[in-house]
Amino acid sequence: MSTAETTVAARGEARRGGGYVQPKGGRGRFEVYSWFFMRISGLLLIFLALYHLAWWNLVIGVEHLDSQIVLERWSDPLWRAFNVALVTFAMLHGLNGARYSIEDYVRKPGAQKVVKAIVYTLVIASLLIGLFALLTFDPASFFANR
Amino acid sequence: MATVESEVPEVPQSHVASGVRNRGVGTALRYKGREGMWTWLLHRATGLGVLLYLIIHVAETAMVIWSPGFYDEAVSMYKSPLFRFAELLIFFSVLFHALNGLRIIIQDFAPYVMPRQRQLAWAAALVAAVVMIPVTWIMVAPLLGLAEEPGAARHI
Repeated sequence: MSTAETTVAARGEARRGGGYVQPKGGRGRFEVYSWFFMRISGLLLIFLALYHLAWWNLVIGVEHLDSQIVLERWSDPLWRAFNVALVTFAMLHGLNGARYSIEDYVRKPGAQKVVKAIVYTLVIASLLIGLFALLTFDPASFFANR
Repeated sequence: MATVESEVPEVPQSHVASGVRNRGVGTALRYKGREGMWTWLLHRATGLGVLLYLIIHVAETAMVIWSPGFYDEAVSMYKSPLFRFAELLIFFSVLFHALNGLRIIIQDFAPYVMPRQRQLAWAAALVAAVVMIPVTWIMVAPLLGLAEEPGAARHI
C-alpha cells in the first residue's frame, strides 16, 4: 500500500509485509464498543427475533395477518416494548454489520462515504419511522372510532 | 518485522482489506478455510440480506397506524405462493445468522472451545437445517393443501 497517505477508514490500512496499521485515532475505543455491542445485541436478538418469527409465521400464520391483529398486539404495552426493543436492536446491529462490510469492500474513501451515507440514511429512516409508529400509536382513540 | 518500508517485499495490490490479489473460484473452493470460511461468508450474506429486507419491512409495518387499509393490501401480497417461499428464505437467513452468531459469541467469550471450531460450525449449520424442516412444513404445506394454515385452530 502507498506510504504517501492513508486511504481508508477506521479499520486501518494494510501494512506492507502483512498486518494492519493502527486505526486512525489509534487509542479510540469505538471499535471495541461496537464489537461488544454486536455480541450483546446479538444475544438479545436471538431471543427477540426468533420469537417474533415463530409467533407470526408459525403460530399466527401469514394467512391471518392483517392490520387488526397487529394493532391489537400493539395495544398491549408489553408487546409494544418488545417491538421497540426488537426494531432498535435489529436495525442498529444490522447497521453496524453493514458498516463492517462496507469498510471491507469499498476501499476508496470517497465511494465509501457515499455508500455509507445511503445505507445509514435508509436504515436510520426506517428505524425512526418504526419507532414513531410504535411509540405514538394511541389504541384508545384508534379503536374508539372503529 | 522490518523497520524500513523499502526492505519489505511488495504485496500484490487489490481492493480488499488484506491487500492480496483475488484468487479464482476454484482456489476459493479448495482453500483451507473450509467450514469456518463458508460459515463466515454465509453469516455476512444472511446479515446483509436480512438488513435489506428489514428496511422495507419496518417501514411497511409502521404504515399500519396511518393507513390500515394500505397495510392490509400490502400484507395480502405476502399470502401469494411466491412471497411465502421468499419468507422461508428470510426465516432461514435469520435462523442461520442467529445460530452461527451464537457460536461466534461462545467462541469469543469461551476461547477454550476454539479447537472445536469446525465441529461447532457444523453444529450451527446442522441445527439450522434441521429446524428448517418442520418450519418449511408448517409454512408451505398449507399452500399445497397438505395441512391446515397455522393458527387455523386458534380462531384468533
